[in-house]
Amino acid sequence: MFSALSKFFGNGSSKSKAKSRLHLVLVQDRTGLNGDEMSDFRLDLLNVLKKYFVIEDNGLDVQYQRDSGSTTLSINSPVLRRKPQVVLSKKETVNAAPAL
Amino acid sequence: MSLANGSNENGKKLGDVYVVTSGKGGVGKTTVTASLGAALALKGKRTLVVDADIGLRNLDVILGLESRVVFNLVDVAKKVCKPSQAIIKSKKSNNLYLLPASQTDEKDVINEEDIKKVIEQYRREFNYILIDSPAGIEQGFKNACAAAQKAIIVTNPEVASIRDADRVLGLLHSRSIEPQLIINRIDFNMVRRGDMLSVHDVQEILGIDLVGVIERDEDVIISANTGEPVAFNPKSIAGQAFIRIARRLCGEDVPIKNYIHGQSFWGRLGRHFGVA
Repeated sequence: MFSALSKFFGNGSSKSKAKSRLHLVLVQDRTGLNGDEMSDFRLDLLNVLKKYFVIEDNGLDVQYQRDSGSTTLSINSPVLRRKPQVVLSKKETVNAAPAL
Repeated sequence: MSLANGSNENGKKLGDVYVVTSGKGGVGKTTVTASLGAALALKGKRTLVVDADIGLRNLDVILGLESRVVFNLVDVAKKVCKPSQAIIKSKKSNNLYLLPASQTDEKDVINEEDIKKVIEQYRREFNYILIDSPAGIEQGFKNACAAAQKAIIVTNPEVASIRDADRVLGLLHSRSIEPQLIINRIDFNMVRRGDMLSVHDVQEILGIDLVGVIERDEDVIISANTGEPVAFNPKSIAGQAFIRIARRLCGEDVPIKNYIHGQSFWGRLGRHFGVA
C-alpha cells in the first residue's frame, strides 16, 4: 500500500526533471535561439562535422555554461574516424583536419 | 557630488545602493527589502528602503507604515517636496526609513536619470539604500537599477523563478551591476525527498555568489498581517536568516545554514558551496 501511495504522490524524483527542463530552457534563453532554431543549428553543425569526420548522428552535444555572467558555448561529438576523401580541392586539403 | 571612491567632498562615505530584484513576481523582493532593511537597522546602520514599484506600492504595507504616507518618490523627483519630507521613519527602529512609491502614476512617469538624482540626494544621509524593484524587466526595473551599484537577486528554488532570475542576471551584467543571490522559500524536507532543487543546484545553475538562504516560514505571512517586518522577530527562522544576511553584507563571515542527510550543519559560504 505504501508503494501505491508513493506512486500517487510522487517518488521524489521531480527535482531531476526540474533540473533537466531548466537546462534546456536556459540554453534557449541564453542564446536567444528558440527550439526550432536550436535544432537547425545542431543540424548545420552536424553537416559541417560530417564533411570531415565520420560521426554518429545523435552523439552531438551542445552546451551553454554560464560563469560570472559570461556564457561559453561548448560543442562535443564522439568521432569515429576521418572521412575518406577521394578528391579534395586545394582549399579543402589545406583546411582538412589531420588524420586521427 | 560623489567622488570615485564613493565619498562626498567632505570625505564622508556615501551609502551603498542595492537594487533588490528577481524578474519573476511574488518571490519575495518586498519581503526581503523590508526585512533586510530592518536587519541592517538593528545593526545600527542608517538604512533607507525605497519602493520603486510605482503604481503598485507594497513596501509601505509590509512595514506597517501605510497610514503615514504623505509624499513619495515621484514627488521628490518632480520637486513637489524636499527629499527629507518624503521619507517615513519606521515604528520599530530609528535607523530605518521608507521612501514610498506613488500609487496612482504609471511606471514611466519618471526615467532613469530622474531616479538617479533622487537617490543621490539620500546617499549622504544613509549607510545603505535598498531599492525594491517591480517585477519584470521594463521601465520600472530599469529605473530601479539606474542608481544601484550592486544587486540582490531573489529567487525561489523552482523552475520559473530561476529562469527569470537568469534573464535578469544577463541584464544586470550588461549594466555592470554586481549581483548576489538570495534563495528564498526553501524547504529542506522537500530538498531531502528530491522534490525541490537544493541550494547547490540553484547556485550551480545561476553561477553567482550566494549571500543567503531563507526557509519557508509561516512567520513571514503573520508579520505581513501585522505590518512588522519578520527580521524584528527574534524567534522566527526567516527573521534570523535576514539578520545573518545583514551581517554578511556588512562584511562579516557568517556560515550558511544548510541540511544534508537529515542533519543540519553550518557550511562555508562560497561559490562552490554545495551538497544536498
